[in-house]
Amino acid sequence: MTKIIEFKDICKEFKIPEKRKGKWSTFLNFFKRKYRIINALQNVSFSIDEGDIVGYIGPNGAGKSTTIKIMSGILTPTKGECIINGYTPWKNRKEYVKNIGVVFGQRSQLWWDVPIVDSFELLKDIYKIKDSDYKETLDLLNKALNLDELLSRPLRQLSLGQKMKCELAASLLHRPKILFLDEPTIGLDAVTKLAVRDFIKYINKVWHTTIILTTHDMNDIEALTNKIILIGKGKILYNGSFDTIKNKYANEKIIQVEFAKAYENISLNGYELISHDKNVAVFKTLENTEFHTKSFINDISKNYDIIDFSVNSLSVDEILARLYKEYELQEK
Amino acid sequence: MKNTYVSIFKMQFKGELQYRAKAISGIATQFFWGIMYIYLYMAFMSSDTIDGFTITQMASYIWLGQAFFALRYPGMHKDAGYEITNGNICYKFTRPINLYNQWYTEYLGEKLASTLLRFLPIIIISILLPTKYSLSMPANFTAFILFLISLIIGGLLCVAISMYSVYLTFITLSPKGTTTIVATIANLLGGAIIPIPLMPTSIQSILNFLPFRYISDLPFRIYIGNIGISDGLVQIAISIVWLIIIIVSGKLLIKNALKKTIIQGG
Repeated sequence: MTKIIEFKDICKEFKIPEKRKGKWSTFLNFFKRKYRIINALQNVSFSIDEGDIVGYIGPNGAGKSTTIKIMSGILTPTKGECIINGYTPWKNRKEYVKNIGVVFGQRSQLWWDVPIVDSFELLKDIYKIKDSDYKETLDLLNKALNLDELLSRPLRQLSLGQKMKCELAASLLHRPKILFLDEPTIGLDAVTKLAVRDFIKYINKVWHTTIILTTHDMNDIEALTNKIILIGKGKILYNGSFDTIKNKYANEKIIQVEFAKAYENISLNGYELISHDKNVAVFKTLENTEFHTKSFINDISKNYDIIDFSVNSLSVDEILARLYKEYELQEK
Repeated sequence: MKNTYVSIFKMQFKGELQYRAKAISGIATQFFWGIMYIYLYMAFMSSDTIDGFTITQMASYIWLGQAFFALRYPGMHKDAGYEITNGNICYKFTRPINLYNQWYTEYLGEKLASTLLRFLPIIIISILLPTKYSLSMPANFTAFILFLISLIIGGLLCVAISMYSVYLTFITLSPKGTTTIVATIANLLGGAIIPIPLMPTSIQSILNFLPFRYISDLPFRIYIGNIGISDGLVQIAISIVWLIIIIVSGKLLIKNALKKTIIQGG
């Protein structure tokens, strides 16, 4: 496999004006500004293989969007090297962007007051796409996303989900080699989310497009890829398979127990009590211990009269929250 | 495969044509302003002519200014300021196209569409008014041809000056503020508020050194015959030089601004 994206020691600093506090602060700020340097990215290095789908995840403000913006040629990093598809994005912008597609989930690239199909045709002329190619691509996108009835309507009349479908199609008209998706499923309902995921997988399969996506919805990642890059506070924290992380927390179980009557104080050796309300209690296994149903029942029924209980693994969201927490602790 | 810029132009044209109410209210506003300006300057012009600038010429000058208002007013494209302040400009970065050229074409498209929708009714009504207040016929046929040429250059110049507003918006992040400043300067120094022939000679000689009067003052004065053919030709040549200077400097400024641009938020 050839590497299509290479990021080497990329740093990005932002200089932001800092507000003073106190009585004359507004007045002073007007004449002399204080600035604070924020390190949005610190020595970020990674590489991505051609044809991969990679999930780029991290908490809010971690530097995800900054990375995407550097990769799509919008921002110039303060330091570092980056070669994508043979180009340095911010140096050969016009040449480079011919081969990429970008969707920012919170913004729109289509024109507000003309029919979608007119926007598409303008993009066709901007990218200088041949008529035959354009027709073929549009047919394919049309089939995969069911755009037919949307194409003749202006953007302002479309719902959020319909908009996202059109945005995706717009970013793929020129059949880019690399597709950057910045929160493509934000605000979408369940059905549209599934459709968008299927579509991303489909594009990756038929065109072998390399896809980098950021998201806060871990189900997106689960459905699409096993490769993740985790970023936090401007640093790469983890780069590898999602399964490894999941396995790490696989032993951790949450056990909810229902008792026959309400107990005042509940405690159980080898388990941590998370919450307790009248006759319902929730336990968690301690670290590095494995859960055995039989021994659990034995232990708990010695002192308490139980009716029912359920055992759950951590959800993907909980795993991620755990991961964020863990890395934050390590930094301090 | 069509030319990219032709398509961008067409797109703006189409977008503008969707707003009929805007065009109709624009015509009404321009008509109102035209009448008001004519009465205002008639009150000031005690004698019938000032340095060879007659009241009828003044009325024609005002009407042309109202008819081609959209073409001579250096505002900003309706999306450009918005794009810069809210960050949607990031999509423009991801297209294989020069941003200055794109904005220039977009704004020219918008301006031409809105001019074409408005100028004819104003011209027709103003011709039909009583002689003293009406738009008179062009001085002669050659003057009319030169008027058309200089009007086109003026429109291009106006859009080029508007691009300075786009540049300033990168710095101030306030499209409304920057357009107001740029438009006021250009209008005042270009004769769009007080016709240049009505200004004191000393000020006129300063304004002749500035680019702003080539937007509308030159074409209108060629039309009414206040500037003769040979003089007009020389000034058209000067206006072309100004057009090139302003486009090139604007391109450099915007290129520089784009390098420093930071787009915040997710």
